[in-house]
Amino acid sequence: MRKAFTKLTLTVFALAIFGLAAQPSFGAEALIIVVNVNAPNVGFNDPTPVAPVGGNTGTTLGEQRLIAFQHAANIWGARLDSNVPIRIRAQFVPLGAGVLGSAGPVSVARNFIGAQLPNTWYHIALANKMAQIDLNPANDDITASFSTNFNFYLGLDNNHGAQPDLVTVLLHEFAHGLGFSQLANLTTGALFNNGPDAFNTHLFDSTLGLTWPQMTNAQRSLSAHRFGRVVWNGNFVTAGAPSVLQFGIVEVRTTAPAAIAGPVQFGTAAFGPSVASVSISAPLLVALDQIEVGGNQIDGCTPFTNAAEMAGKIALIERGGACGFALKARNATDAGAVAAVIYNNPANGNAGPPGMADDGINGAFVTIPTVSLRRLDGVDLFSGPGVSMSMGNNPTIRAGADELNRVRVFATFPVIGGSSISHFDTVARRNLLMEPAITGDLTHRVKAPDDLTFELLRDIGWTFPDADGDGVPNDEDCNSNSDTSPTIRIGLIDTDVPNMMFPNGCTMSDLLKELQNGGGNHGSYVSAVAHLTNLWVSDRLITGSQKGKIQNAAAQLQLP
Amino acid sequence: MRNPHKARKSPKKGRPGFSGVKIGILLGVIAIVSAMVFLTGTKSSNASPKKYKATREIVVDQQTGQRRMPTQEEIDEVVTNLSTLANRPENLPATEGAGGAEMVDLGGGFNGVMLARPDADGGLETKCVFTFEEGAEFLGLVEDISAE
Repeated sequence: MRKAFTKLTLTVFALAIFGLAAQPSFGAEALIIVVNVNAPNVGFNDPTPVAPVGGNTGTTLGEQRLIAFQHAANIWGARLDSNVPIRIRAQFVPLGAGVLGSAGPVSVARNFIGAQLPNTWYHIALANKMAQIDLNPANDDITASFSTNFNFYLGLDNNHGAQPDLVTVLLHEFAHGLGFSQLANLTTGALFNNGPDAFNTHLFDSTLGLTWPQMTNAQRSLSAHRFGRVVWNGNFVTAGAPSVLQFGIVEVRTTAPAAIAGPVQFGTAAFGPSVASVSISAPLLVALDQIEVGGNQIDGCTPFTNAAEMAGKIALIERGGACGFALKARNATDAGAVAAVIYNNPANGNAGPPGMADDGINGAFVTIPTVSLRRLDGVDLFSGPGVSMSMGNNPTIRAGADELNRVRVFATFPVIGGSSISHFDTVARRNLLMEPAITGDLTHRVKAPDDLTFELLRDIGWTFPDADGDGVPNDEDCNSNSDTSPTIRIGLIDTDVPNMMFPNGCTMSDLLKELQNGGGNHGSYVSAVAHLTNLWVSDRLITGSQKGKIQNAAAQLQLP
Repeated sequence: MRNPHKARKSPKKGRPGFSGVKIGILLGVIAIVSAMVFLTGTKSSNASPKKYKATREIVVDQQTGQRRMPTQEEIDEVVTNLSTLANRPENLPATEGAGGAEMVDLGGGFNGVMLARPDADGGLETKCVFTFEEGAEFLGLVEDISAE
């Protein structure tokens, strides 16, 4: 009660029940069933005796695996709302060296009754939730295979040390099965079976100003590589980002012209100052030099012929020629450049930005930061005069989001660099569950302010368990079965005072009933009601006249 | 509100009279054909599957913690599993589901696959991938041209 009062007095944004924009809700936590399809004595049925670990009370290896699976399933089940049980067909089997496990949807559906978007593919568990029936009753909804080749940490307390934490990996992979993945072909750009899906509908390319379904195949294929420019445009993730992502990101950015402005993927050098240690913003100038044998005029392998114009500028240099990265950077330093940008030559046109080693001679003479770019980004910088760049720690942007707090998805070049698009960007800080890699600092909490996975699932159409439909999840609700009558009633008296809802999920009637059931005598009850309603008046939630009506009704109430 | 009818769904079981041996043979054929289709990048099964070789140590002994290069048999196992789990075939056949819904069975593909390789500090570096190529690159598996 004290907690409720404290929140109450701080609240000035109370919403009238009828004005509350609560989402449609079915109230029930999703029941997620782990269907063990292992044969006897293997996988989930492995009889090897084990000691309890980290809250996992299983006494055999198989039992502990199953308990960890169900624990991860229950974490999602408590967060998500569906009146159709979600079935995970699960097994522990040998998957070979290097494969921890996998999960994904068994099927997808579109154009079902209840679908939020027409012609849009939904993972089957989400489709069932929206349809409120099992659209594919002969099949399970998610498939999950995990490896017996690894010693997972099977505790439930996240105290995994150096071992892979099974619960964390399961939370990640289950999220993919619940809808956190897109289906288009990243090489050709073709949509899955000629239609968008619930995930890629929210992918927005800030360079093109288009969402993925609005693009041609060629545009989508290019967008998948556009580092830092593909963001999630869903409202829940964007609203949650400020509470999760920290300000400050080390980046290299094209700042002008506007058509190519934005962050670029870059590689670092083993010589010269690091990008993190500088703060540079300057015009770009193509470095010109004398053509050496095996080289060209823009490879920076000989002293620059336009050194007089280079002072204070960032030198743009092509990779290759008869020299290494360090000599190019040394020549840029000697010409007075403030930084050097070396982009891939045609021979490395399909490679990502390389790490740049020192040659043991020239690196010591480099006093400016040097970065590498993929070829496509380097060629963009030739777009004409007026190109400028910045590099360093940008304190105005949250790590993992753009200027508008839209969270970045992982778009990198080449795509095979890992796990593109169906994950959050690896630059995110704090680390997020749905980055491509599982990091040791992840918790088992999946929503803001710890994570953004739940918010993304909400953006694609999942809702949360909300028994009273007040827009507050059951497990955060001050009262998950609120009295949502339009006016405050005390006993048989309708006070005609609007019954307002607070952001923590309690209504005014809930709080008054708590006083009523508090166990005190009539005098203390009336006194408590007076105190509470005085606070409401001072918070301008009710008028003095309305306070009088409530206090009168309380005075007439016969307490048991 | 939980739907009690969903509990009817159960792990797939063989039809009565359909022997385990036949099922095993059938599944084996399906797995081999799937891997061949994926690895050749075509719908045809005429071409031979590519062979891969390892370029880095990815096996960590569960007992000793020692790391080593995978054997060819282990490489083949990874390639087969990764091919199946991360398979992303196109133009899959659609069927009609309840209420007129359009349904597509993903055939065991379109999975996120979590991989792990030893890192320099003695720990494991993980990465979740969605295609065979992403996975092979992460695990250091390259096409073995000498095997052709």
